[in-house]
Amino acid sequence: MSSKKVIETKKLCRVFKNGEIEVHALTDVDLVINEGEFVAIMGASGSGKSTLLHIIGCLDRSTSGEYYLDNVWVNKLDKNKLADIRNQKIGFIFQSYNLLSRTTALENVELPLIYNRTGQFLNSKELAKKALEQVGLSDRIYHKTNELSGGQQQRVAIARALVNNPTLILADEPTGNLDSKSSFDIADLFVQLNNQGKTIVMITHEPEIAQFAKRMIYLRDGRILTDKVIENRSNKEFALKELEKPVPSIKEQL
Amino acid sequence: MKRFFKIFKVAFQSINKNRTRSLLTVLGIIIGVGAVIMTISAGEGATMQVQNQISGLGTNLLMIQTKSEHKAGINVRMGRPIDKKDFDILQKNSVWMPMLSPLVAIGAQAIGPSGYKSTMVYGVSYDYFYISSRELESGSFFTEEDVRTAKKYCVIGETIREELFPGQDPIGRQIRIDKVPFTVVGLLKSEGSGGMGQDMDDIVVAPYTTIQNRIFGHRRGYNMIVASALSEDHIVDAKIEATELLRESHKIKDDDEDDFEIMTQIELQEITRNITGILTILLGAIASISLIVGGIGIMNIMLVSVTERTREIGTRLAIGARESDILTQFLIEAIVLSLAGGVLGVILGIVGNQIIYRVTDFYIPTAIYSILIGFGFSALVGVAFGYFPARKAAKLNPIDALRYE
Repeated sequence: MSSKKVIETKKLCRVFKNGEIEVHALTDVDLVINEGEFVAIMGASGSGKSTLLHIIGCLDRSTSGEYYLDNVWVNKLDKNKLADIRNQKIGFIFQSYNLLSRTTALENVELPLIYNRTGQFLNSKELAKKALEQVGLSDRIYHKTNELSGGQQQRVAIARALVNNPTLILADEPTGNLDSKSSFDIADLFVQLNNQGKTIVMITHEPEIAQFAKRMIYLRDGRILTDKVIENRSNKEFALKELEKPVPSIKEQL
Repeated sequence: MKRFFKIFKVAFQSINKNRTRSLLTVLGIIIGVGAVIMTISAGEGATMQVQNQISGLGTNLLMIQTKSEHKAGINVRMGRPIDKKDFDILQKNSVWMPMLSPLVAIGAQAIGPSGYKSTMVYGVSYDYFYISSRELESGSFFTEEDVRTAKKYCVIGETIREELFPGQDPIGRQIRIDKVPFTVVGLLKSEGSGGMGQDMDDIVVAPYTTIQNRIFGHRRGYNMIVASALSEDHIVDAKIEATELLRESHKIKDDDEDDFEIMTQIELQEITRNITGILTILLGAIASISLIVGGIGIMNIMLVSVTERTREIGTRLAIGARESDILTQFLIEAIVLSLAGGVLGVILGIVGNQIIYRVTDFYIPTAIYSILIGFGFSALVGVAFGYFPARKAAKLNPIDALRYE
């Protein structure tokens, strides 16, 4: 595995000012993530994990500290450059999908290509179809987003994140709105993408989902508490089996 | 250019996908533009018609009548009535007024073989037809001789013919006015509605002598004397002359005021111009209100959709749209909707004017400037309220736009 740094932060701080009150969402976060990693970020609500991901994803800016993405010093970039980075280097997946309503899956996935300024994607429809195929939705291409289940919508969102062939995939609680089965499907999809060489950073509340990743970072009060390699990674079969375990115990009670 | 085309497509998709919102926006603009065009045009039409009507009377017209004052809402005569003596003096001595006619008027019911109608009956002399520049459809005018001998002849307008002689030739037939039988000798050419909406064809004209003898039963003066000046250039001369002659006739001392009024065509035009000016202002006010109402409608729809749209903008920003991409998209959307609404509104206005014309016979020329005002204002409101909330949202951090509630 190459050790090319995709993400490097130095003393990253983010302070929210709400009138008189200052909230330190992130304090002195030093983080390096290399190419091909699959990182799960965990932590309680308000621990700053979303803020960290937003800054990594160029959706928000740090108050102080340095952030290098693919060796580009992001702090110095203007709005348009940031937009281009979001477009070309990052695929962002949200908990609430953030798809355009009343719009087909295909059109949603095509959207990042419309805003791509490099002009390298001429056949945007083909690429969007391919991305939807990758997430196993080739039979739902022309369905509108409101006609899809939560898991399917999240797959559309993942396809949209993939379509520009980004360096980095960021997911903010991608399974937060899904049932366990769909959650494991999505987690499994991330593992597959990671196996294909994608660098993935994922926030999750659920330990069993985090267990799919290779490395786990635990945040508390805006600081990194632990950062460890996951020893016994979970997979879909195992997780599903685990899911079935309590069922007999209920039967016994009956 | 290719980028622009792509964004253009995005804008059209967005319009198409939010059909209800788009339709409501367009509807607001349509109504705003249509209402402005129709109201302003109606004002213009009324002005034009009044002016046509008055110049149709001949620009040389002078009307001489007893001075009256408005008191408690009614006209009260203040001076000596204009009578035969005044008329004779004017006729004998006037240089600048070759045509003079007494005018007595009475509202009465005209009864014919197949119907009846309340109308104005004017008693005049033969010169009246020249002074008022009315022409005949058929038959003839009564003559100077008929006036002198107080013949019971009359000339009627088209509206009277329709009511009293539906589908028939009225010439030579009899009508009764206040129980007095008159023989119809002529039918006036139709002139349509007058400037104030009165029907110029709802009229019966008879010798003034006959009206005085048979209907009034006295010869105590006229409602007015109508006269035409030698030419348009001599209206002022005619007025000065008439004033001098009448002051002499009424034995008014040098320091005293006239007890009569002389209104010329020009003054009449001035008055009606004032009236129609007020009318136009009134209609303009109504138009402005409809514009404001339409504008508020557009504004509401745009502002209500801001939450949804801000999230949409957040999503677009998150996947790499630049601020300028968002602005271009929303500007195109606003322009397309405003244009569509504007064009449909103009069509509505023009068609509406036509419908009014067909139904009421009141011709409304569609004023070009009303189109410009209506279109311009609506476009401005549409674009402003479509664009500025979007601009505000596009300037946010993407994550703030996504969180917007």
